Amino acid sequence: MTQTWLISGPPGCGKTNWILNALKSHAGPCGYLRLEGGSRPGLEQGRDSSIDWNWLKDQIPQLTDLRSNEDSGDYEQHESTFKIVELSQFQTLRGTEPDGVNTIVKAQLEELNLKPQRIRHFGEDPELPKGDTLDYNTLESLSIKLNQKVWDPNSLSSFWFELVNGAYGDVYRAKALMNLPDGRAFYCNWIVTQKGSQFLPLNAVEQPNGRPKRQSALVLQGKALNGLDVQSTIHDCLLNDDVLEMHQAQRRSQQPNPYQPAL
Amino acid sequence: MAHAVISCLHANLAAVEAVLDDIDQQGIETITCLGDLVGYGPQPNEVVELVRQRNIPTCQGCWDEDIIDGLNACECSYPSQLAERRGHRAHHWAAERITKDNKDFLAGLPMTLRRGPFLFVHGSPNSQHEYLLPGMSAFAALERVESAEADTLFCGHTHQPYVRELRDGSIRMKLEKPGTDQSVEQEITLPIRRIVNAGSVGEPRHGNTHATYVIHDEIKEKVIIREVQYDVAKTCQAIIEQGLPEVFAWRLSHGFEYAERADDADHVCERS
Amino acid sequence: MKRWALISGLHGDLELYEQIQNDLKHQRSIDSLFVLGDLIGPDRNCDALLDRIRNPKRSDIKPDCVYGWWEEQLLAECGYRGDRRAQALRMSDGEEAVNQLMNAVDSSHVPWLASLKFGFIELDCALIHASSADIGDKLTPETSPLILLDRLTRLDVNRLFTAKGGQQFRVKLTGGTIQSHIKDHEGMQKANHAVPKRSVIGIGQQTAYTLYDPATDLVEFMEAGGKAPTSKRQGLGFA
Repeated sequence: MTQTWLISGPPGCGKTNWILNALKSHAGPCGYLRLEGGSRPGLEQGRDSSIDWNWLKDQIPQLTDLRSNEDSGDYEQHESTFKIVELSQFQTLRGTEPDGVNTIVKAQLEELNLKPQRIRHFGEDPELPKGDTLDYNTLESLSIKLNQKVWDPNSLSSFWFELVNGAYGDVYRAKALMNLPDGRAFYCNWIVTQKGSQFLPLNAVEQPNGRPKRQSALVLQGKALNGLDVQSTIHDCLLNDDVLEMHQAQRRSQQPNPYQPAL
Repeated sequence: MAHAVISCLHANLAAVEAVLDDIDQQGIETITCLGDLVGYGPQPNEVVELVRQRNIPTCQGCWDEDIIDGLNACECSYPSQLAERRGHRAHHWAAERITKDNKDFLAGLPMTLRRGPFLFVHGSPNSQHEYLLPGMSAFAALERVESAEADTLFCGHTHQPYVRELRDGSIRMKLEKPGTDQSVEQEITLPIRRIVNAGSVGEPRHGNTHATYVIHDEIKEKVIIREVQYDVAKTCQAIIEQGLPEVFAWRLSHGFEYAERADDADHVCERS
Repeated sequence: MKRWALISGLHGDLELYEQIQNDLKHQRSIDSLFVLGDLIGPDRNCDALLDRIRNPKRSDIKPDCVYGWWEEQLLAECGYRGDRRAQALRMSDGEEAVNQLMNAVDSSHVPWLASLKFGFIELDCALIHASSADIGDKLTPETSPLILLDRLTRLDVNRLFTAKGGQQFRVKLTGGTIQSHIKDHEGMQKANHAVPKRSVIGIGQQTAYTLYDPATDLVEFMEAGGKAPTSKRQGLGFA
């Protein structure tokens, strides 16, 4: 029978890694969804679900988006489907029983025909890892869409270093999916309480023809974030069409003929 | 006799003044400057004028060259597109402000200065743009000094001060030529040579915010790397007031070693 | 593994090129012909040679070319190197030599010459006209091994095949060390570095050329139309 779990927890507590491992260790079909959160005054939404969804989908190609109901019928009949629904970072849960779900969440779940059997809250559930968490109520959030954008690799490295070291305000948490000119993309992940950043390559590599089609975004949480400076620095790091074409032409010429790399 | 070597002043007047004070306090009268008087910092004219007023022998740095000739640096001078764009912004800012007199002074600077067995350059004897990082191949480093016919090479450009001594070197080789079955074996002994990097007065990147320079005692054959505290906040304030990229102030106030490091020690710029 | 032939300094001499192609047909298992620059020169019209190199006969071993010192002069004079002109040639041979060079090559070949690469990296070998330090860098058996090692280090290869020095030779670096003491703000680091076992091979020029077997690392020095100068060990190369 279908297992549906509802997961919640504050930013940076290790949910995404936990979800990836939980879904990966399940043998049968699986699905994932992050619910939209209600808006909060003074906070831009933590709309980084595209980052998480794309990262999870890259790692588990058979993963289904629970928002699309297209083949939910098949899954309902499948005995071992595993669904994880993640609450937005700005939604809270009370208690661990389905009744503890607040009315907004309940309505969203009903609309999607999802009936969670278990509710697990990071920070409260003793079985879940107790990662570092942030008091997100006091944090600003900044979300920048980077679809079709490609980074100069060394510039990305400089920008990320500056970002997590406070050049653009006190960043507590940074998460991103970034495209590189060699067709790869990286899942970049950082939290103030951890040493070092996580840079994990996606399995999928884009063909060297034009702009990448996958989703790309940067999401920040912190205090006194200097959004304008972040934007203008990003602008200085992104490749224009000519430079991208130069990289891609080189890749195209290398593909059929691995012979003769130029000096 | 002890002499001081300073480099990469980068229009940071507070830092230059503090370093010159430190040198004066030690009674050192001979100072050599390895260039990059301008760029990044907020006081290009003031720094050039101070160096002129003190009559400090100076060789030309890559920033000084660019201010005279217009942007001339090849792409390899910058480790990233971001660094290049910021560099260009800082260049245009300084180029608009530098006086004709100061520009003429920079244009007249020699590429190298030689005093007996000592050679003074900005980057390397090959190019103002070449980085002689401490980790570069020991043999390649020795080649730079040896080809320049010097015993000690004083350089800057990397913003990280160090003293590197290359000694007890030898190379064994076998020569084969046509028309003979015999290959000739030989071993050559390499000379002892030294590279002294003076670090940076105006934009230190060695891990803290102190200005750095070196003192070389020719008689005792000793090199001391000096660190000098200065009013970093004052320069940072001026950077922001002058409308230069704020990240320059941030970088200065942290002394980050990482920032815009060129990591290709063996790369040589091929532009003429 | 097949063998390579490396030639340089044809200076527009189609007859010499045909002679070398003919020689190579009588050699076993040559599958690559690398032309390390100086296809052109001021002394004769180079168009026929360039036509043949660009459009090989069916029986030819297809040449892979890099540009050399003479191509660099021509390309600079034609404006392919920014503001630079053929200053090196002007300084050494005067204005007349520049004019002769310009007249020796039809302008229709210039874009093709401009498309040539600076060098090739094949396996752990660099194949270039001179060195990455300079297109005019003349490496010979007399060059300091410190400089040879530097040229190898710049390209990070184990074997550097070079032509500009003009001579046929192989210098094998077989051993040696150096002590490096670095003092910085973190303290003193001492290290002992060994000379990497690497080689610089001068391939010769014009009639003198070189065969190389990457599988066995054997080098054979040849003379066009004649017997190999290393006749006693022909086919064995140098151990």
